[in-house]
Amino acid sequence: MRRFTYIAPTSREDAFSAFAAAGEGARWVAGGTNIYDLMKLDIERPAHLIDVTAIEGLDAIETGGEMLRFGTNARMADVAANETILRDYPVLSESLWKAASQQLRNMATVGANLLQRTRCLYFRNGAGGASGGAVIYPCNRREPGSGCAAIGGIDRGQAVLGASANCTAVSPGDWPVALTAMDAQVELAGPQGARAIPIAELYRLPGETPQIEFTLGDGEMITGISVPKTRAGRRSTYHKVRDRESYAFALASAAVALDMDGDTIRKAHVALGGVATVPWRSPEAEAVLAGKPLTEGLAEKAARAAFAEAKAGKLNGYKIDLGIRTLVDALSIAAERNS
Amino acid sequence: MAHAMLVPARIAKGRVTSVDTGAASAVPGVLRVLTAKDYPAPPETDENGPPPPPPTILDAIAYRGQPIALVVAETIEAAIEGAEAVTARYAEEAFASKIDSKGAVREETEPREAGDGTRALADAATRIDQRYVTPTQHHNPIELIATSARLTDGKLRIHESSQYSSGVRGAVARSLGYDPATIEADSSYIGGGFGQKGSLYGYSAIVAHAARLIRRPVKLVVPRSQIFHQATFRPEAHHHVQLGADTGGKMVAAVYHAEHEQSRAGQFPPSDYHEATSRLYDIPNYQGTAANIRLDRNDPGYMRCPHPHPSCFAFESAVDELAIELGRDPVEFRLANDGMTDVLTGKPYSSKFMAECLREGARRFGWDRRTAEPGSMRSPSGGSIGWGVAVAAYPSMMVPSIGTLRVYANGRTTYSISGHEMGQGIRTSIANVLVQGLGIDPDKLEISVGNTATAPQHITAGSWGSAGAIPTTAQAVSRMQSALKQLLGGRTPRGDIHRRLASTKRPYLEVQASALGPGQDASALESLRQGGYAVAGPEYPAFTTMSYIAHFVEVEVEPRLRRVRMPRVVSVADCGRVISPRTARSQIIGGVVWAFGSALREGTEIDPRYAGYLNCDLADYVVPVNADIGEIEVDLINEPDPLANSMGLKGLGEVVMAGASAAIANAIHHATGKRIRHMPIRIEDML
Ligand SMILES: Cc1cc2nc3c(=O)[nH]c(=O)nc-3n(C[C@H](O)[C@H](O)[C@H](O)COP(=O)(O)OP(=O)(O)OC[C@H]3O[C@@H](n4cnc5c(N)ncnc54)[C@H](O)[C@@H]3O)c2cc1C
Repeated sequence: MRRFTYIAPTSREDAFSAFAAAGEGARWVAGGTNIYDLMKLDIERPAHLIDVTAIEGLDAIETGGEMLRFGTNARMADVAANETILRDYPVLSESLWKAASQQLRNMATVGANLLQRTRCLYFRNGAGGASGGAVIYPCNRREPGSGCAAIGGIDRGQAVLGASANCTAVSPGDWPVALTAMDAQVELAGPQGARAIPIAELYRLPGETPQIEFTLGDGEMITGISVPKTRAGRRSTYHKVRDRESYAFALASAAVALDMDGDTIRKAHVALGGVATVPWRSPEAEAVLAGKPLTEGLAEKAARAAFAEAKAGKLNGYKIDLGIRTLVDALSIAAERNS
Repeated sequence: MAHAMLVPARIAKGRVTSVDTGAASAVPGVLRVLTAKDYPAPPETDENGPPPPPPTILDAIAYRGQPIALVVAETIEAAIEGAEAVTARYAEEAFASKIDSKGAVREETEPREAGDGTRALADAATRIDQRYVTPTQHHNPIELIATSARLTDGKLRIHESSQYSSGVRGAVARSLGYDPATIEADSSYIGGGFGQKGSLYGYSAIVAHAARLIRRPVKLVVPRSQIFHQATFRPEAHHHVQLGADTGGKMVAAVYHAEHEQSRAGQFPPSDYHEATSRLYDIPNYQGTAANIRLDRNDPGYMRCPHPHPSCFAFESAVDELAIELGRDPVEFRLANDGMTDVLTGKPYSSKFMAECLREGARRFGWDRRTAEPGSMRSPSGGSIGWGVAVAAYPSMMVPSIGTLRVYANGRTTYSISGHEMGQGIRTSIANVLVQGLGIDPDKLEISVGNTATAPQHITAGSWGSAGAIPTTAQAVSRMQSALKQLLGGRTPRGDIHRRLASTKRPYLEVQASALGPGQDASALESLRQGGYAVAGPEYPAFTTMSYIAHFVEVEVEPRLRRVRMPRVVSVADCGRVISPRTARSQIIGGVVWAFGSALREGTEIDPRYAGYLNCDLADYVVPVNADIGEIEVDLINEPDPLANSMGLKGLGEVVMAGASAAIANAIHHATGKRIRHMPIRIEDML
């Protein structure tokens, strides 16, 4: 834990100029449920924290227009409990209330949630902070070029999809997986102006540069998230398997939404969590499902297609089997929901 | 008050060659950085004397995370920042961190034997030969281990979250060269203990010395990740269990070898795995061998239900396997093998109601509706239902205690006694005896436990806290009544005890009481006064005393995802007389919850390349949450033990956990046909 300054501007303009003035070491903070943790672990070492939650107009939950819109500062708990979301987009609501705990969801914001960092044990516990362990582990994400202790180590939690020889860390969030399935856009603003990108573009595969996790310009801020409305939302679910019944990150999860015509799937939205280095959309599974009536056999075929490229390490091979079962289960849960 | 933070060694074995404290000292608010050279050398120890106190700060590193420096600062934040700024150079040596690591040294210990196990096994008609693994686990009480030290009026006053305040006093005195009489250790309130706080740690003296050097009170709260590395833990253990039955289905042989992770100099005894498993059944030929596997790790130690929990997991899984092999019902098979003699000593049990626990548990659970075939029972939602049973035992020990009771004329009552409160409710049990015996107002009753300044203190563990305190308290009550009677000299004034006392014009009346375990004499009391280990049992001169429990578990396994749920449990315990029904029931519920956690959730990960604990926080060390736990129905046989002590009670807090994990594994087998011989049982084991 190092010394830092803290301010909470109330307008975007003030926030951007504060960020620029702070220079090196400036970071945004919202609910603080991830960044403070990482500061105690000595992984994040900001010199200046600029709190975005006092900025006006960034916490709206809008369900009336063409798109669903969530201001970045909307709390996880509020979006999870929103009646329209609960009824028409259970995949979104479930991905939030199956994450963390009620206390954390009361603090944590839906925009910053997208930027939470991996739970890889070697990443978190190996930086030398008093709250970390007693080992400094090599980690390419923390210290580029130092190596990856998870590869060849205790890799039970590591990714089977999207990993590289430099990093196998799982993308931890549940909400980003649901948003990925639902074609969400992330709205950004910076000193240079505003833009929106598909959520898939926010996340970068580790490849040769695992330390670069997000596509975000310097000083750029997430301002909101928008999700195109779709009737597939009603027949949707976020199915999550973890090491206990609540309050744990996913070992495997599946976000599924089905646009059905009678028994036939017109279009399926499928994304996977807990198994991949980024929120993992599966066009392979979606292609298997499109235009066909949903049967157990088809669901299994789709799920196997989703994991066709999966690669196991020492202890995480079960995630392939578990991921397949989770997706098959999720498809049947979603299909049984009323449209 | 100044705040302190320890700096952990970044190697697993070797020497610290230099410590750079420059950057740390420059952190604003840092008062002092102490390293090995600031501490007195470890005291001389002689072979016949007490074991050496835990070391303070040394340059020789025996395990990863061992403290190499202490940073003392004005604020906790500055102490942390300073601790993180300390760097060191090391001469690192090769190390062994896991049972199968190169450099691990096996050391066999004394066997526990009756009859001829190997021979009887060879002659047996039916045999089971299986290996079971129980994991490394850490206690993780929510309340972190902590100490503070302050010097006032020539006394060193230590507040520490310890189950062994007198041990803290003794260790600090010996490490730093104090007369123990000048130290007071107060552990009145410590939060959860679970055995972690029964061990003595070097930081007590490390912090006390800092307080002396800077002439200010100093406080240290050890962060959870460092607790994993420094505090004792439940070691991984490997259990090789061989059982043999004769043609009539009677168990005739048990050959059981247990070995566990051990530090290079650690004392946590492996032969104690046999304490419980040899005393469940009438198995005349029991060969119990055990070994330490010496590694470059911190000391393992006592964690709730220390040996019987892992050993009963292994043994009661094997008994289940044998019952199935013989085509016998697991409850009926256990009842048929019950016995009333301790085969290790040939002496009778002072009381044993294991069979009653089994019968009552089976009745409440509805065991007769069970169909034997694995996978034959289904839930309405299509899940596989499994019903499992297991029994367990735990030594019922006795510790002497000394209590001082004062009743005041003004309505107050004070009582101080040996024993620590660590969430088990010892204050409540004591209060029950005082309130019922004296008819006093509980709101005006002050009970002091865990404080060396008010009563001699023992290490409170092993379920002997209540067994030690209650008979003494009962005696204090009767002494008080006779003292008052004598004082009144035949008069019978009206009113409660305080008013009767007031009628004698005395402000208060004080009595002392003490009680010993069976076979103990006054030397045990003397040992207690000196802060020594004065525990007796479970083998007493004329008998053996054990507590018993039977657990019945229902699991449901999801059809596709294979997640295991535990909708209901019935647990019935034999702890002799029940002193405090509410705390007793709560002990059983807590024990079952922990056994669930142990069976299905908890395990500490150690990467052998580094010898550090990897999942060293509560996010990654997975303990159960509320949503994991189904209905737990508990019952107590409540038959006083006629011999163990004057009140007829036996220990409860430990036995409650034993065996329940085996019942879960047995239920999983019944649900799925799959026998899993290790803990924790995780989703990957079920697929
Ligand atoms: C014990 C625990 C359990 C958890 N379990 C789960 C779980 O099961 N599933 C799950 O999905 N999540 C889980 N979480 C993570 C939790 O969801 C995230 O910590 C939370 O969503 C982050 O939101 P926040 O507002 O607190 O972010 P902060 O900690 O404030 O910020 C997170 C990151 O976002 C950046 N940031 C903040 N606001 C902005 C902005 N407007 N623009 C750009 N950058 C910004 C910060 O600089 C920081 O890097 C858990 C967390 C904890 C502590």
